[in-house]
Amino acid sequence: MTAWKETVGGRRALTILRSRPFLTVAIVAGVWIAASFASRGFGAYGHLRYLVELAAVIGLVAAGQTFVVIAGGIDLSVAAIVTVSAVSLPLLSWQADPTGLTAVLAVLALTTTIGLVNGLGVALLRVHPMIMTLAMATFLQGLLIIIAGGSAVTAENPLVRWLGNARPAGIPAGVLLWLAVSVIVLTAMHATSFGARLFAMGANPLAAALSGVPVASTTLAVYGISGFTSGLAGVLVLGMNGQGYVGIGDPYLLASIAAVVLGGTSILGGLGTYAGTIPGAILLVTITALITVVNASPGWRSILFGSLILGLLLLSGREQARR
Amino acid sequence: MSTVGSSRQTGALYWPVQLRRNVGVRGLFAVVMAFVVAYGVLFPGLLTGSGFAKFTQSWFPLALVAMAQAILMLTGGISLAIGAMVSLGAVIAATIMTGPLGVAGGAAAVALTGLGIGAATGLIVVKLRLPAIVVTLAGSFIIGGAALLILPRPGGAIPEWLSDLLAGNTPAAFVLLVLIVLLWKLYLATPLGLSLYAAGENPVGAYRSGVPVDGARIAAYAISGLLCTGAGLFVAAQTGSGDPVIGTAFTLNSIAAAVLGGIGFLGGQGTMRGALAGSLLLSLMISVMFFLGFTPVAQYVAQGLIIIGAVAIPQFRKVQQ
Repeated sequence: MTAWKETVGGRRALTILRSRPFLTVAIVAGVWIAASFASRGFGAYGHLRYLVELAAVIGLVAAGQTFVVIAGGIDLSVAAIVTVSAVSLPLLSWQADPTGLTAVLAVLALTTTIGLVNGLGVALLRVHPMIMTLAMATFLQGLLIIIAGGSAVTAENPLVRWLGNARPAGIPAGVLLWLAVSVIVLTAMHATSFGARLFAMGANPLAAALSGVPVASTTLAVYGISGFTSGLAGVLVLGMNGQGYVGIGDPYLLASIAAVVLGGTSILGGLGTYAGTIPGAILLVTITALITVVNASPGWRSILFGSLILGLLLLSGREQARR
Repeated sequence: MSTVGSSRQTGALYWPVQLRRNVGVRGLFAVVMAFVVAYGVLFPGLLTGSGFAKFTQSWFPLALVAMAQAILMLTGGISLAIGAMVSLGAVIAATIMTGPLGVAGGAAAVALTGLGIGAATGLIVVKLRLPAIVVTLAGSFIIGGAALLILPRPGGAIPEWLSDLLAGNTPAAFVLLVLIVLLWKLYLATPLGLSLYAAGENPVGAYRSGVPVDGARIAAYAISGLLCTGAGLFVAAQTGSGDPVIGTAFTLNSIAAAVLGGIGFLGGQGTMRGALAGSLLLSLMISVMFFLGFTPVAQYVAQGLIIIGAVAIPQFRKVQQ
């Protein structure tokens, strides 16, 4: 009976079956199948495509968050950075450039700089990541109101509109963008020395520093990446929404952290993969969609959402026993 | 501990030890004093009875949530559900106190809810070994949802005499705070309280030395919950009604206050007086900026900068040494 477990292929299959990314994918598939039986139209291609499109925004924010968390930090400023991107881009759209690419690049440069400032605070000033990014979020929140006032700004940038609405070959452009980012992120994480340093730093920063890992510059890079992907998510959400306003990024703070943790990445750092975060993001969107279907009051919806995340954590987020 | 030495020896050691624990927060105390002076200059009414009462009342809820966060951080935990707990305490107080159960019943309900939810959170974090930051993040949704169920929109009421007692021209808030600090000192003398620092500093070592690590951590969560709903009750008394989202800002402010006060994220580092001073600094900052005529927006910007500065400068000096 158990003979297949002894073979090399069998062992490899078992490792995959037991891995957390696979577990998360299995949960997503299970939820989708169950939901499509329970609610007509849930399993329709159009609906599932829509879910993945929504998940793309979370997935992008969570890409940077995964880097930061694996390196042993946490970025609580992602929501504010998404908002900065979505609000400042419409203000930057120059008429001189018909494609709107320069404006997008300028915004991405801005958000990356914000991320780098986070990194500077964490790496050089030795401020705890939670405080540094929290203070950054507070700072940006004030700045945004000064820049944008309370009103929503409409995006006229052609590139942004294309990103939010186009469907080359039936696949939303946002999902394609997510796919491209995922490939780059997974390669950087698991096939480069930068990725290896990341895991070393997250597991034991002191040992990593003593072994010659440039901790300061790696920390800087990690927060810079988080600023960049959050900015990208802001561009995408602006394209999908058509308008940017203060607070547009707020849902993505919890979502990014939850996606990372549901995907099996340890919040303590040093362990995890973006391959788990991807199904984690889709799972989150699915849960939200299911709760909307239930048609409960806001209070119950909130309770359901929290309880489901807590329940899923039991499946995928447990820490090692201490003793 | 009685086995360490005779009571006279420990008595002689008490003050030097306490002084040494102040070393890390001396700078903070100086900054707080400077802010108190600035506040006194800007608002000369501080020295009158009602001015002092108002001042302590604006500080009190922040002091409670800072203590709630500090207890958890001392054991190596953290809570992102502080704001939701404050909201829940406020709506429970505002719905029950004017009902048939009266003020006593309402206060008991607030206290039991805080202890119960706190203990449940602690059990989940400690016994199921889930990361505290994520559990409390999910918990903040559940608790916030419960607050919305109890009171979907701002409403309810607090008996007028209670509002006058707690948030009128009496120093009740200050007296309560002194009482709570004394209770904290008492708690630190109990076995569970003694285990608090050990459980945070070195959980494995503490466990192997027979310290009830799990019990100390769960108790810390329960006390933290009680402090949060207590702060909610006070906020409800201040505003005279309940609001299901009134506590939101307290989550971030509690962490900021605790960290300003020198509490470390890794557990076992820091003192409660530091956390209290941190919360006082934050509260003073907000008041002083208000009197200087900062717009709320500029307050956000300044608050972000000051928090980073206050945390970074001591660290920076340590690195340079």
